[in-house]
Amino acid sequence: MDKKIISYFIIVFGVIAALLLGNTVFASVKYVWFIAAVSALSVIAFIISFEKKEHSATYLLLIAALTALSVMGRLLFAAIPAFKPVSAMVVITAIYFGPEAGFLTGALSALISNFYFGQGPWTVFQMAAWGFIGFFAGLIRGKLKNSRLMLALAGAVSGVMYSLLMDVWSAVFADGTVLWSRYIALVVSSAPFTAIYAVSTAVFLLLLQKPIGRILQRLKDKYGL
Amino acid sequence: MRAFSKLHPITLFTYFLIILLFSMLIRNPVTVSLSLFGGAAFCSALTDKNEKISDIKFYLPLGVLIALTNPLFSHNGKTPLFFLNGNPITSEAVWYGIFLSLMITAVMLWSKGYSKTVTSEKFLYIFGRAVPETALILSVSLGYVPKMKRQAKKIKDAQKTLGLYSKGSFTDNIISSVKVFSALIGWSLENAAETGKNMKARGWGYKKRTSFYIFKFRPADALIIILSLLFSAVTLAGVFTGGLSFSFYPGISSLRLDFVSVSAYVCFALLTLMPFFIESEENIRWNCLRSGI
Repeated sequence: MDKKIISYFIIVFGVIAALLLGNTVFASVKYVWFIAAVSALSVIAFIISFEKKEHSATYLLLIAALTALSVMGRLLFAAIPAFKPVSAMVVITAIYFGPEAGFLTGALSALISNFYFGQGPWTVFQMAAWGFIGFFAGLIRGKLKNSRLMLALAGAVSGVMYSLLMDVWSAVFADGTVLWSRYIALVVSSAPFTAIYAVSTAVFLLLLQKPIGRILQRLKDKYGL
Repeated sequence: MRAFSKLHPITLFTYFLIILLFSMLIRNPVTVSLSLFGGAAFCSALTDKNEKISDIKFYLPLGVLIALTNPLFSHNGKTPLFFLNGNPITSEAVWYGIFLSLMITAVMLWSKGYSKTVTSEKFLYIFGRAVPETALILSVSLGYVPKMKRQAKKIKDAQKTLGLYSKGSFTDNIISSVKVFSALIGWSLENAAETGKNMKARGWGYKKRTSFYIFKFRPADALIIILSLLFSAVTLAGVFTGGLSFSFYPGISSLRLDFVSVSAYVCFALLTLMPFFIESEENIRWNCLRSGI
């Protein structure tokens, strides 16, 4: 009960503090501040709601392994630009474990892989971006499980969405406000990478979803999860 | 060596949070230059010669690129220098581009310093106790990554001895990575399920979990936290009273040099130079000991 009150207090207080500081102290760079605050608070909110439920050790370990796999994907394919299975792994986790686990896997993948690629203020935004990809994939997981077409489509959309979101961060971070010309320039200049990323996410989803589903089913039978 | 990273995780995290937020959010050319200088000094104390050279090779062209491209995107400002394809290139946008490249380089240098000093173990120490289940996932997957790297190498070696992908071409590279990755998935999920069962058998979740860390909060940590908060309070006072406000558009405003803003600059300079001082003090002491003085 105490913990619950404290966690609500943190969120409510955080929102109010973020709004106040944004409108007074950092008024000239409002948008950077708001984006960073909103990402940080949404990550905190998801983690708190995840902590409230009791989870079995096996469940936590499987989520950890899937997170580590998506990090490994980013490391294993580091030589090939934008050809990464990270979003695909996040979506697959969301399909089999639900939206909350999807968010957590996405957010933690960003956090852990940045221990290798370099942390920075962008980590928070990246965590939220990958987290929400996992969350939304988890919400429509019934459709994704049944239709290969939907799966490929979701992969492509999540790839494009991730790139577009990260460009928002770059543009806002640079100017402190929203400058459309810079955003469009960023989107255009990163278009080839966005395309590769979208296609590779769809390909990885089509390749990996069924095998991982089989492995998880087998584990369920073997260990009676 | 590495004196700064020996501080308590909470001290380090507080410091980097303050410095990164200030560098990103206070859009004032003086504070940004100070932050860049402090960040560069700190990184130079942390890196060896080769890394310094490769850093300069990375950050310098990046900064120049940002500075050069800004006037192409932004046509704000009231003093056009010349017209390019009918769009004005303004002197304000040129200056803002230079400011922007300083700011982004400063933030990246501080992030590099953060990555070098706040390791994953320290990060877990700070956030682990508040969110035990997330912390478990985080620490287990951090442990999995090097294990998986070793396993991936084993899988790849085994497949190579079978005569697969011997050409080393681009498609070979992709196909082998995909195959290694899918083999890795099976191995690691099985491993995870087994470890989970194991943990349950050994009474995981039966009692409140404990964790072992060797971090100690020393008087030096308290001193550094107090100093950081003091310096940032003076800097924030400068922000609140408008002493640090500066704008590039529509015209470049003049810098205020009254008592409040000058003291804010001095305090911010001290704040950014703190890690460098701590590092170089330790370096000097180390060199003295080595030379036997």
